[in-house]
Amino acid sequence: MSEQNNKNIGRREFFTRTAKAAISIGAAGVAARLFYDAKGPQRGGKAEKLVTLPDFSVPQEAGKTISVVKGSDRIKSVNKAIELLGGIKRFVKAGETVVIKPNVAFATPAMLGATTNPELVAEVVRLCYKEAGAKEVFVIDNPINDPASCFMLSGIEKAATAAGAKVIMPTPSLFANTTVKDATLIKDWPVLFGPLEKADKLIGIAPVKHHHRSGASMTMKNWYGLLGGRRNTFHQDINGIIAELAVMVKPTLVILDGTMVMMTNGPTGGSISDLKRADTMIASCDMVAADSCGCELLGKKVSDLPYLTKAQDYGIGTTDWQSLNPATATLS
Amino acid sequence: MNQNNPQFNVGSTGRTNSRLESVVSISIIAILLAIAATLFIRQADTDISRFGITPANLQPSQKPVPEAETSPFIQVPAGFDKLSEPEVYNAENLYEKINGKAPLYTEAGFSKLYCQRFVNKSDANLWMEVFLYDMGNLRNAFSVYSMQRRPDAKTLSAFVQMYGYGTSNGLYFVYGRYYIEMIGSAESDQLVMAMLETAANIQKNPMVAGDLKIEELDLFQSENLVPDSAKLYLKNAFGFEGLSDVFTAQYKIGRQPITVFFSKCPNVQDAEAMAESYRKFLTENDATVKQTTSEFLKNKIFDFYGATEMVFTTGQFVVGVHEAENQDAAEKAAMILAVKLSNSNKIKQ
Repeated sequence: MSEQNNKNIGRREFFTRTAKAAISIGAAGVAARLFYDAKGPQRGGKAEKLVTLPDFSVPQEAGKTISVVKGSDRIKSVNKAIELLGGIKRFVKAGETVVIKPNVAFATPAMLGATTNPELVAEVVRLCYKEAGAKEVFVIDNPINDPASCFMLSGIEKAATAAGAKVIMPTPSLFANTTVKDATLIKDWPVLFGPLEKADKLIGIAPVKHHHRSGASMTMKNWYGLLGGRRNTFHQDINGIIAELAVMVKPTLVILDGTMVMMTNGPTGGSISDLKRADTMIASCDMVAADSCGCELLGKKVSDLPYLTKAQDYGIGTTDWQSLNPATATLS
Repeated sequence: MNQNNPQFNVGSTGRTNSRLESVVSISIIAILLAIAATLFIRQADTDISRFGITPANLQPSQKPVPEAETSPFIQVPAGFDKLSEPEVYNAENLYEKINGKAPLYTEAGFSKLYCQRFVNKSDANLWMEVFLYDMGNLRNAFSVYSMQRRPDAKTLSAFVQMYGYGTSNGLYFVYGRYYIEMIGSAESDQLVMAMLETAANIQKNPMVAGDLKIEELDLFQSENLVPDSAKLYLKNAFGFEGLSDVFTAQYKIGRQPITVFFSKCPNVQDAEAMAESYRKFLTENDATVKQTTSEFLKNKIFDFYGATEMVFTTGQFVVGVHEAENQDAAEKAAMILAVKLSNSNKIKQ
């Protein structure tokens, strides 16, 4: 085709080309409209399904809600504390599956008190198996920094395994998202749900520690270790998150170890000089009461830890732990 | 010629139509560029939560640290092996290592943490972890050091020229812009020796060198000063946002330990404004003015939930006492510090 022909087209040709162009544009528009998805891709798999943690609590019994035992031997103290509440069989039945949640937040030696004492964990595992006849006992936590190192260097893996428990590392497949009713923080947030899904009972075991942000870390703060994701964002509202954790988790029993208390530089500690002997073991079905009692070991009052009152306001328990007529004992 | 052509002549006026075509082409290209730019901007602003990816779902980083990023200052001590690979954390992921204590550092200028564990070759139960916090400058490093100082700890001869101390299982010191902790798994002489060797290696490294002395701390010097009691609050001292760069120390008046404090402001007016704002903060939070025989301290002493608070100025300094049990002792301590501050006039900013 000559250049002249290229430039000189007829009226018919012009309208034909225009019509083709219009059809092409129209077809593209129709196709775009057909393929357009105003909602965008939906979530798939586990992330979409919100879960609710089971209620692991047992019925209240008057005078057997909280026990406080004085003694320097953790093993004797925890046995006595549980005995005062009616014995381990009140909490764990034969054939049940138990999950124990110690504080394994750091890869530090047990003597620094930043993690739950491994011998204490082992003793509770033993009680579940030997005394109560539990079918299986799992030990779980989600330490963000290298869980394997935390479980190993804290001594908890070795002690729990020797007592017959299975230590479950927090792999991504074990997490599912949850939303706590009326919560402002725990909304569509991943929790270590897998081991809890088929468990019958849940026991929390925590040391009494000073905490730089919240003032104290005890049984309620211990549930922080069930959270996944970038949970450090919750440090901006530390009292709110601890109270919501108390709403999220309904444990069978909590054990608060105040044999050695981390008085300063928590939650990591780092020096033996951060610790002070308090020789106290607290067991309770009411974690608000347990922590309210435990805060006194840190020289604090309930009013120093706003999350206690918040949790009480949520109806989780009482800060007036004395009103529960605690069962007490002093061991020689 | 073209007017006589029965065909609809598009291209006969070549120059005019070329310009038209150019304009149309440029317009189309401009529209396409605008669409591309819009897509780019929208894509950058995507709400990832729509795709099931929320900040909650983002797992913390557990990636191995490239060798080049690890600290060149931490060396394996003699008789020890590496127990873990070097780790490096920044302000974004420091919580992965120290969880709830991270804000203490990140709010004080924290830049990076280098850490590594070492284990004794002949006893696997003897291991230690070295933490080297890069705090950006000496004052920041001193601040986090002072906030965590164990009151009964020993100052070691190795740290005579520095801020540092040891406990039965650890060493803690400031060197230049670094705050360094070495934490042992047991109370062991072998671990202490290894820690001292590691500390010496850090001090030998020319890359770590920097200021080792904070001159303001000399202003506390007095026979009443409790040794090693000084702290530096970079901000939010005593829970009040308006009090920043506050040095505190303990003076012993008789048997009464008294916490005295000062903050150096750029000028007298700023000092007065800071003192006044703190007094206002106290009274807004139910503090009441206490009586005093001192004219100078009138309306500057408060009862705050049973404790005595005091705040006034001398020159560029805001001076005061925090949470004292005894008002007389508090007044004496405050005056000792105030006299020292008023005599000083050559403090580096």
